[in-house]
Amino acid sequence: MKAGSYVMGIDVGSSVTKGVLLLDGQILSNFMLPTGTDLDATAGECVRRLLSDRGLTQKDILYTVSTGYGRTQVKEADRTITEITCHGRGAKALVPRAELVIDIGGQDSKVIRLDEDGMVADFVMNDKCAAGTGRFLEVMAERLGMSLLDFGRMWKTARKPASISSTCTVFAESEVISLLSRGIAPDEIIRGLCDAVADRLLGMVHRVGLVPDVVMTGGVSKNEGVRLSLEKKLSLKVVVPDASQFAGAYGAAIIGHELAMRN
Amino acid sequence: MTPGTFDTGKSHRKIAGETRRIKVIRTLTRKSWVHSAAKLVISHMERRGGTPYQIDAIRSFADDFKHAYLKEKPCIYTSAFVPNELIYGLGGVPFLPEAASGFAASFGFARESLAACESLWYSPDLCSFHRAGVGASVLELAPRPAAVVVSSHLCDGGKRSLYQISRYHDCPFYILDVPYTNSVQSLDRLAKQIGKVARGLEHEVPGLSKAHMDEAIANSNAARSHYLRLCNLRANIPSPWRGREALSYVVLFLWSWGSPWLTKFYQALANHAADVIQSGEYPVRNERFRLAWSNLKPYYSPRLFDYLEDECEVSIAFEEFSYMYWDPLDARDPYVSLAKKIMSNPGWGPIERRLEVVNRIIREFSIDGVVQFAQWGCRQYNGATSVLSDYLRKKGIPFLNLDGDGVDARNSGEAQSLTRLGAFLELMESRDIRNSR
Repeated sequence: MKAGSYVMGIDVGSSVTKGVLLLDGQILSNFMLPTGTDLDATAGECVRRLLSDRGLTQKDILYTVSTGYGRTQVKEADRTITEITCHGRGAKALVPRAELVIDIGGQDSKVIRLDEDGMVADFVMNDKCAAGTGRFLEVMAERLGMSLLDFGRMWKTARKPASISSTCTVFAESEVISLLSRGIAPDEIIRGLCDAVADRLLGMVHRVGLVPDVVMTGGVSKNEGVRLSLEKKLSLKVVVPDASQFAGAYGAAIIGHELAMRN
Repeated sequence: MTPGTFDTGKSHRKIAGETRRIKVIRTLTRKSWVHSAAKLVISHMERRGGTPYQIDAIRSFADDFKHAYLKEKPCIYTSAFVPNELIYGLGGVPFLPEAASGFAASFGFARESLAACESLWYSPDLCSFHRAGVGASVLELAPRPAAVVVSSHLCDGGKRSLYQISRYHDCPFYILDVPYTNSVQSLDRLAKQIGKVARGLEHEVPGLSKAHMDEAIANSNAARSHYLRLCNLRANIPSPWRGREALSYVVLFLWSWGSPWLTKFYQALANHAADVIQSGEYPVRNERFRLAWSNLKPYYSPRLFDYLEDECEVSIAFEEFSYMYWDPLDARDPYVSLAKKIMSNPGWGPIERRLEVVNRIIREFSIDGVVQFAQWGCRQYNGATSVLSDYLRKKGIPFLNLDGDGVDARNSGEAQSLTRLGAFLELMESRDIRNSR
């Protein structure tokens, strides 16, 4: 590949679409926007913004890899790769010592074990319900009338977690209402909710095998409360890189870079 | 009992699922002209040069259904692992509600059957093959049974749901209590039970007699020989037959041992596989990987297989359900032979027996990875997932546990399943690239 070649990775997630532009394998820029209902248009908008910010056109792009649940809707893509492989590659690039990736997105969660080369050695995904996903936390935050960004602060002020027995979004919502009516403090409920998500992930982590260097990616990685609950339950530190939300798009772009080199 | 109703003891309660199209199908299945028309369609297919094994499969079911729906022979409901040589040998015709659920899903009737079953307080947590079977039976989409025979091995839900069916239709119910451990005594005990069931059926169901037993055993053994030839041919690389079809025809593997049509079907299918190998016209030409498939498949949508076989060029080279596990039967001692057949089922007894079969499939069919379709509510298979996963991991064979439902589309997320399959193939590809370095 000649110097100055550009490669793109586009991750069309269920809630947010992310894009990463690489120049000679290094991150040049990134962009994200809500996915909405028209996946095709959203992906196109993401591509346009990445290009226009750098004064580029589609002709300047050597290779594009799309990933995420809307990966097949990206017209500009030369290849589609699943988000499992892309998150693994992206996390390894962001945190080179990463061995285990916990990716929690809008509608699913995945635990990915990496081998020494950063390739996927094993993975598990949640079942089809919203339990343990970003959507679950969004619904609960809405019910409690607060922002997801408040979760970390409130987790720390809680004396103990409230007991939330269900991770079914509908049942847990009624549990939250019941806890509020019993006068349980909102911070304890939030900590209970974060624990419920972490409990759900714990089983998945042990299915692929717990290894020490754990990295969290996806939108929920920015939720400090869930990270704290996970760290407590796993008894180890969970690393959240700055660009954790872009891990999938970054991984897609890295694979695109490799494929372009191979071609 | 009026179809579409359930006797509560005081009144006949209407059940869900009794739609107009169900009434039409129920009526049509009982008309002799419909079965005559089916015969004409089969003849027409033959004249037009249809694929012989597909015609034989249709003929096999058309023949059984005609006998059962028109009450030409006693229809005996059996659970999936009862050796049906016993039923054909008594001159009856078997009907497997669990296997028929696959038909219902393929033809788009599962929704009504599931609704009917759930309206009778069956838990949606029960395996959908059983739920749809119960529903089809109480809606009388299925023929009326003269008796029900179940075995206790493998599916726990099967024997209970079939017991309910026998109550609904007020017909005799027999259970073969299969011993867990394999010994001379347990074999003898099971053989005696089979003999007792045969005598009970002869006594309680008019029209049954063991006069046909030798013929049924001979049919079974002849079909077995052709089947073994087919298995040898399926070991060929690339695979000469599509896995999606094999998973559809698993229904015949469960249903038709002892029927004369099964012999013809496997003979035609083995010939077809040989022709494919001879001509080089393989269904998946540039086979990237060869998978072994455990448990069944979604019968309502071909999407997963379009993706695997057509888009990704991956073959399902063999299925765990298709493994031939019994020895030829002995017509001189049919009940002992059938008891041996039941006791040889690798899904019964210690898990090591099942693992050994999986290992043989990996070796004999040059398997690159194993996919287990984790059927909703299947305790038998899902309960052993961690053991199978650990076993394969130690052998270095990639394994994917794919959650889903063969009959009830509400329990499957197609987009998620495709992502998991895609990631699984990417994992195998990355290992492949690394190993070739």
